[in-house]
Amino acid sequence: MKIAYYPGCVAQESGRELDLATRWVCQALGIELVGFPKFSCCGSGFVDEANEVLNVAINARNLALAEGAGLDLMTVCSTCQGMLQLANLRLKDPKVRTKVDGALVPLGISYRGSVKVKHLLRVLVEDIGLDAIRARVRRPLGGLKVGAFYGCHILRPSDEMAWESGEEPHAFEDLLAALGADPVLYRGRVMCCGFPVLFVRPQTANTIAGRQIADAKDHGADAMATPCPLCHISLDGYQNKAEHAVGRRLDMPIFHLPQLVGLAFGASPEELGLPRHLVPTGPAVAQIPPAPPA
Amino acid sequence: MAEATVSVPLEVYRFQPGRDRVPRYQRYTVELTPHTPVLSALLRVRAEIDPTLSLRYSCRSAICGSCAMQINSKSRLACETPVGPEIERHGRIVVEPMANQPVVRDLVVNQKPFWDRYESIEPHLKPDPDHPMPVGRPTSMSPQEVERFHDTPRCIACASCYSACPAVGADPEFPGPMALAKLYRFVVDPRDGGHQDRLVRIQASGLWLCLRCHLCTDSCPKNVRPSERIRDLKEMAIAVQGATEAGSRHAVGFKENLKGAGLLNEMRLARATLGLGGFAGQLGQGIRLWRKKPEVARRPHPIEGMAELDQIYAALDKGDEK
Repeated sequence: MKIAYYPGCVAQESGRELDLATRWVCQALGIELVGFPKFSCCGSGFVDEANEVLNVAINARNLALAEGAGLDLMTVCSTCQGMLQLANLRLKDPKVRTKVDGALVPLGISYRGSVKVKHLLRVLVEDIGLDAIRARVRRPLGGLKVGAFYGCHILRPSDEMAWESGEEPHAFEDLLAALGADPVLYRGRVMCCGFPVLFVRPQTANTIAGRQIADAKDHGADAMATPCPLCHISLDGYQNKAEHAVGRRLDMPIFHLPQLVGLAFGASPEELGLPRHLVPTGPAVAQIPPAPPA
Repeated sequence: MAEATVSVPLEVYRFQPGRDRVPRYQRYTVELTPHTPVLSALLRVRAEIDPTLSLRYSCRSAICGSCAMQINSKSRLACETPVGPEIERHGRIVVEPMANQPVVRDLVVNQKPFWDRYESIEPHLKPDPDHPMPVGRPTSMSPQEVERFHDTPRCIACASCYSACPAVGADPEFPGPMALAKLYRFVVDPRDGGHQDRLVRIQASGLWLCLRCHLCTDSCPKNVRPSERIRDLKEMAIAVQGATEAGSRHAVGFKENLKGAGLLNEMRLARATLGLGGFAGQLGQGIRLWRKKPEVARRPHPIEGMAELDQIYAALDKGDEK
């Protein structure tokens, strides 16, 4: 399959390992990623707070680029997913549409609204399918206990995201099971990581992140995995602060979703950018049995 | 023909502060049809198995909002949550009191913190001295004015959103989704004279602590959509007063940030939000991140077609922030 690839800001900069792992996995599965050097940031929810119509317009411009190429669009970030999907929805409001068109049409940009926005998780589970994923596994994850952490905007508002239950999803756990991991169910998996207030009220953000990690740990998780690089910043990059906020050691390796897929497909930790994490992933990777001889 | 019954395995939170050292989960099994609400299952337990079970309820019709509780970790009205789908999804029904409020006994919580936060937004009309309301006859509103309320007047104050909210649980300053949805309702009310003052006050009183995780919107039984109205309040607050708090500085700073390259410049945003002093305080963590991820300190390459983005900004972002 061929799809427009929207990496978002973080995967192109400090979360580069997510981009590495995504490209590795997509190549292994024959997913052709089409890049667009004209893609801008999705606004990350913050531009939406400051100026709703502007936010819709910058994302309509992004979507128009994919539409022009006749492609659907794949995200690798829960927040990008939410913002681009939101633009698709908000444009159905004639008042918003008129304002957005007023800015885009003079630039020769017109977005008809035909692009489906899909997160990599959904592409893997729905378009590729779990059978094909299972068939590609070379190094099953050996029952590694993994707590999936969804990231809010891939799920909610669930009527607008129109995919999984906003509070009881299962696609991520299904994928983890197909890779040979043992998904851990815990309440925090659908909660917030605290990222939106990380710079606004750090103590609150760190407490919220720490609670979700502690919840996963208390349910037996050896590692967590997330489809969102912003959650990854909160849970991995600031885990030291989260430990301080909740007053306990956590030592929880946090994988980006495609990194676990890549490991199960036989990629090396280096190919997936695992050495770039703040919390070492080595102990979790060491629990995975070596690939059986081909 | 009567609908077939199923076996409903309940695990109910039991706790009496002062008497019990720790909470426990008590198992009961009742036979009910799949459409039976969880509330009826609990009332059956109380009537036939265990009269000591405490819970709060009244209308049984999703009108009074009394029976909100956590059902398999979701904050819901027990009177409108059927047992069948819960058993299908989870094999059992775990019933717990609402979160973010102290337990009085079993499923009953002390709602004082919830109501205190509600009171803090002054949930009553403040007449506008410039436009006094007519005496002795009703005030009329145009359909456009009514539309601005969205569904906020439908709120029944059940506190499901308050229970579901991770910000409420982590930060005592956050007023919570219900209080803010109510505040929105007064801000857009054409009869209210407090529009500007209300926005100024809330900007400094926790508005920006909302995480926009949308758990409130998903848990609301009346589709009030608090998270979306909180977004509206944020944009309105910036419009009347500019960005006065770290949260609004972050939102406006993010918007301005994209003017440079079309992609986020992480370092510049941190500086804009934290100010120089706050930024210096984060240097240690910044260096820790930079060692593994040197890109945090790098300026992104501008996207192609940056001129288009500039023109979109010029058309839609008139610099209305004060």
